[in-house]
Amino acid sequence: MRKHLLALGAVFVLSPLMAQKIGVINSMSGPEAPIGENISNGIKLAEEDLIKKGIHVQLVWEDDTGKPQISMSAMEKLATRDNVAGVVGPYTSACSNAVAKLAEKYRVPLLIPAAAKEEITRQGLKHVFRMNAPADRYASSLIDAALGLGKPKSVAFIYENTDFGTSTSKTAKEYVAKKGIQVVADEPYPKGAADYRSTLAKIKSKNPDLVFMVSYVADAILLMRQSKEVGLQPQAFLGGGAGFTTAEFAGERAISEDVISCTQWTDDVNWPGAKDFGKRYKARFGKEPTYHAACAYESMMIMAETARNAGGDREKTRAGLKAGNWNGIMGPVRFADYDGFTNQNNHPMLVQQIQGGNYETVFPAPFATRKAVYPFPKWK
Amino acid sequence: MTKTLLNAAAFLLVLGALLVLPRYMDSPYALHMMILLFLSISQGQSWNILGGYTGQHSVGHAAYFGVGAYTTMMLMQARGVAPWIGVWAGVAAVVVVALVIGSICFRLRGPYFVLASIAVAEIMRLSAINLTGLTNGAEGILVTDLPAFKIGGRVITDFMTKVPFYYIGLALALLTLAVTWGIERSKLGYYFQAIREDQDAAHSLGIHIALYKNIGLVISAVLTALAGSFYGIYVGFVDPPTVLGLDLSVQIMLICIIGGMGTLYGPVLGSLVLVPLSEALRSNMVTDLLVKSGLVSADSKVGIFLKENLAHAHVLLYGILVVLVILFMPEGLMGFLKGLTSRRRKEAV
Amino acid sequence: MAVFMQSLISGILIGGVYALIGIGLTLIFGVMRVINFGHGDILMVGMYLTYILFTFAHIDPFVSVLISFPLMFLFGGFLQKVFINRVLNAVAQNQILLTIGLGLIMSNTVMLIFTSDYKIITTSYSSSTIQVGGGVSVSWPLLVSFLITAAITAALYWFLLKTDTGQAIRATAQDRDAAQLMGINVKRMSIIAFGLGSALAGTAGALISPTYYIFPQVGSVFTLKAFVITVLGGMGSVVGATLGGVLIGITESMSAAYISSGWKDVVVFVLFLLVLLLKPSGLMGKSRT
Repeated sequence: MRKHLLALGAVFVLSPLMAQKIGVINSMSGPEAPIGENISNGIKLAEEDLIKKGIHVQLVWEDDTGKPQISMSAMEKLATRDNVAGVVGPYTSACSNAVAKLAEKYRVPLLIPAAAKEEITRQGLKHVFRMNAPADRYASSLIDAALGLGKPKSVAFIYENTDFGTSTSKTAKEYVAKKGIQVVADEPYPKGAADYRSTLAKIKSKNPDLVFMVSYVADAILLMRQSKEVGLQPQAFLGGGAGFTTAEFAGERAISEDVISCTQWTDDVNWPGAKDFGKRYKARFGKEPTYHAACAYESMMIMAETARNAGGDREKTRAGLKAGNWNGIMGPVRFADYDGFTNQNNHPMLVQQIQGGNYETVFPAPFATRKAVYPFPKWK
Repeated sequence: MTKTLLNAAAFLLVLGALLVLPRYMDSPYALHMMILLFLSISQGQSWNILGGYTGQHSVGHAAYFGVGAYTTMMLMQARGVAPWIGVWAGVAAVVVVALVIGSICFRLRGPYFVLASIAVAEIMRLSAINLTGLTNGAEGILVTDLPAFKIGGRVITDFMTKVPFYYIGLALALLTLAVTWGIERSKLGYYFQAIREDQDAAHSLGIHIALYKNIGLVISAVLTALAGSFYGIYVGFVDPPTVLGLDLSVQIMLICIIGGMGTLYGPVLGSLVLVPLSEALRSNMVTDLLVKSGLVSADSKVGIFLKENLAHAHVLLYGILVVLVILFMPEGLMGFLKGLTSRRRKEAV
Repeated sequence: MAVFMQSLISGILIGGVYALIGIGLTLIFGVMRVINFGHGDILMVGMYLTYILFTFAHIDPFVSVLISFPLMFLFGGFLQKVFINRVLNAVAQNQILLTIGLGLIMSNTVMLIFTSDYKIITTSYSSSTIQVGGGVSVSWPLLVSFLITAAITAALYWFLLKTDTGQAIRATAQDRDAAQLMGINVKRMSIIAFGLGSALAGTAGALISPTYYIFPQVGSVFTLKAFVITVLGGMGSVVGATLGGVLIGITESMSAAYISSGWKDVVVFVLFLLVLLLKPSGLMGKSRT
């Protein structure tokens, strides 16, 4: 009898210590891997911090190689074979959109850290939550910043012809129409193209006030280099993609100076722990984190805590995510229903500009640390 | 005589087992793997007809897969057309596409044919990306809610579980096997293989080369398109790189190369190797197995390296497998197995 | 007018680099009738070699060509001797698959070592330009690449025309059996041809690296382009590949400017099909299947 009581007691004492199984879907190989790496690293840091808080997680990592159908396979596996309490990820918009429906079908709470495509949280899916601000914010924050600094009348779009590039620029085109800015060029390019010079020359001949670009890192650098070569001189270069927010891009001093971009997070924003996170990440992984790392970190922290409080039950975890609010390195987080979005964290986008090789937040006013340089100075 | 009886018995036994499998295997993940297997077999068998039997090695078969997938999905999304009707539109479309492609590519031989088939598939993929009004471009088409399948007012299935997809996949794989079997035993098969062995000699024997090449292509294309439509409705998402990409064309070819071209069961063998291997590597099964069996300790340097990298390395292993097969087993697994049995027979004598 | 001139000039310059890739491929096909689907991945290896030399030994990419050329030659020779040699007489698609397999091994091994991170080489002159008036600018590193390519092409032509080995290679390309009967060691010619082709691909990689970016999957883009160029120019013709490269460079550039960036690759492929159908021997090639 005593043995049984002892065992029972042990279970009660130990159950909070029992590891919660949480799935992670990420692009760890394939073309999206360079940014996917940030997400993995952010999650790893979260794992450590969770242990310090006494929360043990057992992570099940799934590589979707950047392909939506593999992402779906991975979700199937996590939902039906690994019996996870919840899933954090995936990374790309295409993968996230594909996996969202599955999450709803299998009733697994899914917390998407950094995917841009708006549609994902516009489908009324109760089990799908998103940490980051969606693509419409990318567009609106950049355009509003530009409108706050000058009177641009025309815009040229150049973007990679992937899901991410196309959907982000589509939203942006709708927004500029509302604001009365005319689209004078619309150029999707295939990823991996070496030479944008003729396209940029064509854009230059249209004399746009703004050039809105959606690209990842390597293309971003080449686009700017060749813009300089060709002598494209708009009032502002607006970088609406992840490529324009990385340390690598900023490091290309000759071509990145004064480029305006939007981001979900910087390390000098006044959210609790943001600065420390940046330092820790750099010390641990040898490079600056992108906003994806911060989004992933906070997503994992929130998911793990909520799952723990729910004892690993999926419906309770879902309810916990819906009801909770947190304040961490991503600032205040609450998954709300508004404007046709479901379970969307109403996250403010930060607009930054590279000044002196550093990212300085210039918009919106509550977060701005510096004044923006506008219009874009003449190429030297 | 007994050999054919034995073969037939073995086939029926396996078929019977496959038919009742879903009763005993209710894990959706396992069913998913079987469906992937059936899909791979269908793709391989379809290609085999043109590539293996007729000797026209197309590296652009994704074009037909994509036409099937996109037609079905586009009709479902734009007009709510049920997939079992949309599939036939896909077939009609692909016949037209195949005849056009054939008229371009069949004038060329050997490596030039290969290059042309790639170019055509790439043109289709790029067009799918650019014609956003039609195909939704790079964003792809996502339709995950399927209408319920009714016969005479009675609902047969509402596609909520994987089981209906399992049976559709099985039926498709069996169809491709049946068509291949039929071709093997018919005059058509003779003509195809004559063209493969020596096109000029076949021509001089009075075989209408262009006609039979195109017949082979159309059959192959239709079956591939059916597989494409099936893929579309099962996965629920199609985009240009996935269903029209060069990677897919290469993968389809790979199934036959590894299994053995121009043989009835080659693509089946090839699929049995590739599908589980690919999934085992991609998920962490192999590493987990090594750790569980005690061969590798989870904390050792080797263990950690494997854990972090083996999943990414599955494509590398693909490449190694391809090189090994081409160098040492150019007839594929079927050829290898045949070699074994014939040797045994020689030894018995 | 400025758009036209800008497109034309950048098309010609990048065409020069394409030409180098095409020349390597055409040599390999001409001599061995092998369709090398790993050609782009060999270029990728050349790029990474350049990157290593630049990052760790601080050798300028253009200067490092002197080192990467012989190294890539040896690498190509190795590939030929150990792998390609065994399939010289096999069916075309076996050759294709073998080279695809080798390409996959190359790109994924590099990915495991260097990760998929895009690497960019930034030199002091990476965004330097020369203004030629009328608002048209010429990229300085591209211009240098073009000049080096021209020099290499000239040297190659001299090699093939004037040296014994070069003539032996041409003989092997023209008629393998006859060449063998004439006492030429065709096996050795194959190794040299593959080595040379690889060296040229690797060098093209080195020459592009100041103006492009480096990542493990960069090969596939260039492999297809290389094929279009060689067919356009005529399989086996060095001059043809040069012309083909420049032509494709201009076509791409103009298509991007006057049609759209999205369709430019389609234009190239359609052109490719037209050539295959109307004049399969290409611009300079002799009619031979």
